[in-house]
Amino acid sequence: MAKHHDANSEPARSREGLLKQFFNATEIDTRILGMIVALLLVWCIFDVWSGYIRPNEGLFGGSFLTPRNLWTLLVQTSSIAVMSTGMVLLIVLRQIDLSVGSMLSLVAVATGVLQVYQLGPALGVGHPAIWILGVLACLTLGTAIGAFNGFLTAYAKIPAFIVTLGGLIAYSGVAFLLARGETVAPMDQNFGIFGGGIASSWLGPFWSWVLAAVGCAAIVRGIVNGRRQRQRFGFPLRPVWAEVFLAAIGSLATLGTTWVMNSYPWPPGVIEKYAKSNSIAIPPGIENRDGKAICMAATQVVHCNEGLIYYTGFSLPALIAIAVCMIMTFIATRTAFGRYIYATGGNPEAAELAGINTRALTVKAFALMGFLVGVSSIISSARLNAATNALGLTNELYVIAATVIGGTSLAGGVGTIYGAMVGALMMQSIISGMSLLNLPAAYQNMVVGGVLVLAVYLDQLYRRRVN
Amino acid sequence: MIRNALIALTTGALLVSASSLPAMAAGKTIAVSWKTFQEERWKTDAAAIKAVVEAAGDKYIDSDAQGSAQKQAADIEGLIAQKPDVIMVVAFDSDAILPSIAAISNAGIKSIAYDVQFEDPNALYITFDNVGVGRIMAKEILKAKPAGNYAFIKGDKGDPNATFLFQGQMEVLKEAMDSGKVKNVCETFTDGWKPDNAQKNMEQCLTSTGNKVDAVLSENDGMASGVVAALTAQGLAGTVPVSGQDGDLAAINRVAMGTQTVSVWKNSVELGKTAAAAAIALANGTAADKIPGVAMFDGGKKKVKMNSILLAPTPITIANIGDAIAAGHITKDQACAGVKGDVMGCK
Repeated sequence: MAKHHDANSEPARSREGLLKQFFNATEIDTRILGMIVALLLVWCIFDVWSGYIRPNEGLFGGSFLTPRNLWTLLVQTSSIAVMSTGMVLLIVLRQIDLSVGSMLSLVAVATGVLQVYQLGPALGVGHPAIWILGVLACLTLGTAIGAFNGFLTAYAKIPAFIVTLGGLIAYSGVAFLLARGETVAPMDQNFGIFGGGIASSWLGPFWSWVLAAVGCAAIVRGIVNGRRQRQRFGFPLRPVWAEVFLAAIGSLATLGTTWVMNSYPWPPGVIEKYAKSNSIAIPPGIENRDGKAICMAATQVVHCNEGLIYYTGFSLPALIAIAVCMIMTFIATRTAFGRYIYATGGNPEAAELAGINTRALTVKAFALMGFLVGVSSIISSARLNAATNALGLTNELYVIAATVIGGTSLAGGVGTIYGAMVGALMMQSIISGMSLLNLPAAYQNMVVGGVLVLAVYLDQLYRRRVN
Repeated sequence: MIRNALIALTTGALLVSASSLPAMAAGKTIAVSWKTFQEERWKTDAAAIKAVVEAAGDKYIDSDAQGSAQKQAADIEGLIAQKPDVIMVVAFDSDAILPSIAAISNAGIKSIAYDVQFEDPNALYITFDNVGVGRIMAKEILKAKPAGNYAFIKGDKGDPNATFLFQGQMEVLKEAMDSGKVKNVCETFTDGWKPDNAQKNMEQCLTSTGNKVDAVLSENDGMASGVVAALTAQGLAGTVPVSGQDGDLAAINRVAMGTQTVSVWKNSVELGKTAAAAAIALANGTAADKIPGVAMFDGGKKKVKMNSILLAPTPITIANIGDAIAAGHITKDQACAGVKGDVMGCK
C-alpha cells in the first residue's frame, strides 16, 4: 500500500504544485473560492431537483437557475446581506449585536408610524418630502440606537452580549407599543422604490449595462493602480498573466450578472398597467400562454412571444446591497477606522497600548451597525409595503449565521465583508430553493442550521491544513 | 346578507343581555381570571365585560395571570375566596387549568371558558367558531374565483390554529377540488406567521408556477400583506383574490383598495358582551342550556361535551366596509386612505 502511494506521489505533487503556483500568483482566497463553488453546486442541485418536480426553463430544466429566480434571490438576500457587513466588523472587534432584528422592527415601525400616521395626513399622501424624511428617520434612528448599544458596551462596561440581549427583548417591546401590535400600511408610494417590488425600482437594461461597464473599468483601474502602488513601495508583484486573468474574471462575473438581471422581463401584468397608464400602443400578435411579452389578440390583451416587453435590469435593493458591500470593504481595508478594528480584534491590549481609543472605536462600530440596520429596515419595510413588529424577528440569527458561514471568526480579528455577503447568499439560496421545492419551513431551518455548523467545521479543517 | 352580519351581531348580543336583565335582582359578582394583559385585545374584552356587568348593577372583579399557569391557579384561589357567583377563565394552559376549574365547581360557583377552551363538562364555553373562520375564507374566495389554481399560505406549523383553519378551508373546497375545478398548486406553512416569510413563500410559489396562481388563501391579515406585496411585484394584485383574518386596519384598507378580498373579523367587544350577558344569566340561576344561543360542542381534544356559544365571525369584504366604520372598529380615513373609485362606505 505504502509503495503504491509512493509510486503515485510524484506526479501528484507536481500537479498540486502547479495549482499552488496559480493561487499564489493570483492571490485568490481559496477559502472564498471554495464557498463560491459550493454555492454554485447548491444552485445546480436545486435547479435539477425542482425540474424533476415541475419542469421549467432553468439551466437544467428547473425553476432555480432562471433569471427570474436569481433576480428575486438577490432582492430577498439584500436586507440580511447589508446587516451582515456591519456584523463582520463587530465580530472582528470581539463584540456582537444580538439586537439587530428587534432594532430593525423598531426602526421600521417607528418610521412607518411617522410616514403613515404623521406625515401622510400632515403633508398629504404621496408628498415627495415623505419618503425623504422617512429614509432620513430610518438612518438616524438606527445610528442612534446602535451608538446607544455601543456606549453601554464601551463606557458602562456591560458586555455587548448582555447589552444587546437586553436590546433584543426591549426593542421589540417598544416596537409593539408604538403601533399597538398592529401592521402599519401601506407605506408611502415613493418609498416603495427601495423594495424592488415596483417598476420604478428597476434600473432597466441600458443603465444596468452602463453600470456594468463602469464596474469593469473600476476593476481594471483598481488592478492597474494596485500594481503601481506595489511597484512604488517595492512589494512583490503578481505576474502579468495573473493580473490579466483577475481582470478578466472580475469583468466576466460583472457582465454575466448584469446579463442575467437584464434577461428577466417585467411581469406581463406590470407591462400592461405601464402601457395603459402611459398610453403606449400594444402591438397585435398571436397568443401564447407561456409567452413573456403582451400583445393584442382582437380586443384582448394576451401573453405572446413577440410583442411589448421590457426588462428589469438590477433592482434598487440589490444595488444597495452591492454598494454597501463595496463601501464596507473599502472601510474595512483602506481606512484607519477599519484597520483599527482588525488590530483591536486581533489583540485588544496591544491596540490600546499602541494608542487606539478602543472605546470610541467600539461606539463607532456599533453606530455603523445601527446605520446599516436603518438601511435594511428601509429595504424590508419598502419591500413588504408595511411595517410590523414581526418584521425583523429572528433576523439577528440569520445575520450572525451569514457572517459566520462567510468565515468570520467569533474569536475576533478575522473576517471579510465579501465572505459575509456570500454567506448571506448561501443561506437565502437554501431557504428559497427549499421553498421552491415546497418543503416546509421546519426542514429549511434544519438545513440552514446544519449548513452553519458544517461551514464552521470545514473552516476549522481548512485553517488547520493551511497552518 | 354579509353586509348586515355585523349589525345583526351587535343587536343579537344586546338582546341576550336585555332578556336576562329585567326582573332579576342585582348585586351579583362576576369574576374574570385573565391569562395576560400583554396583548392589547384582552383590555378590549375586559372593558366590554365590565361595562355590561356594571350596567346591570352587578360587581366586576378580575386578576391578571401575567402569562403564567402557576399564577393563574393562585389567582383563581383568590377569586374563589371572594365568593363571586360566576368565574370566567381565559386559560393560559387549557390542561393545567383543570384542577382550578374543579375547585370552582366544588365551591358551588359557575364557570365560563372564555375564548380558550378547557374541557370541563360543568363549564360554559364561549368563543368564536374557529374552524368556521377557515370556512368563511374559503367561501369568499370560492365566490370570487370558482375554479383555478389555489395557493395556500398557512400559519406556523407549531400552532394548531393553522391546521384548524386549513381544515375549515378544505371542508368548503373539497367538492371543487374533487371535481378538478380547484387545484392546490402551492401549500406552505409560514414560520412564526411572519409577513416577510409569507412574502418569500408567495414569491417562490409564483416563480415555480410561472404566475399561474388564480387565488390565495392566506390564514391571517399579516401574511396577506406579504402575499399582496408579492402579487404586486408581478402586477397581479387586485386580480388574484386573497383571504385573511383579524380585521387588521391595514387589511381593511387593502379590502377597500381591492387587493384583498376578505378579512374575517372576530370582534372581541361582541365576545365580551355575549359572555358578560351569559355570566349574569348564570349568576341569576338560569341553567346553562337555557341561555339563548347555547348548543352542545364536542370538538375539543378529548371530545368532552360542553354547553357552548359559538359566535359567527364577520367577513369584511368590499361590500360591508361601511359597517366596520359604523361599528367604530376603524375610522373612515384609515379604511379609505388611497382608495379610488366607487367603494361603498368610502364615499
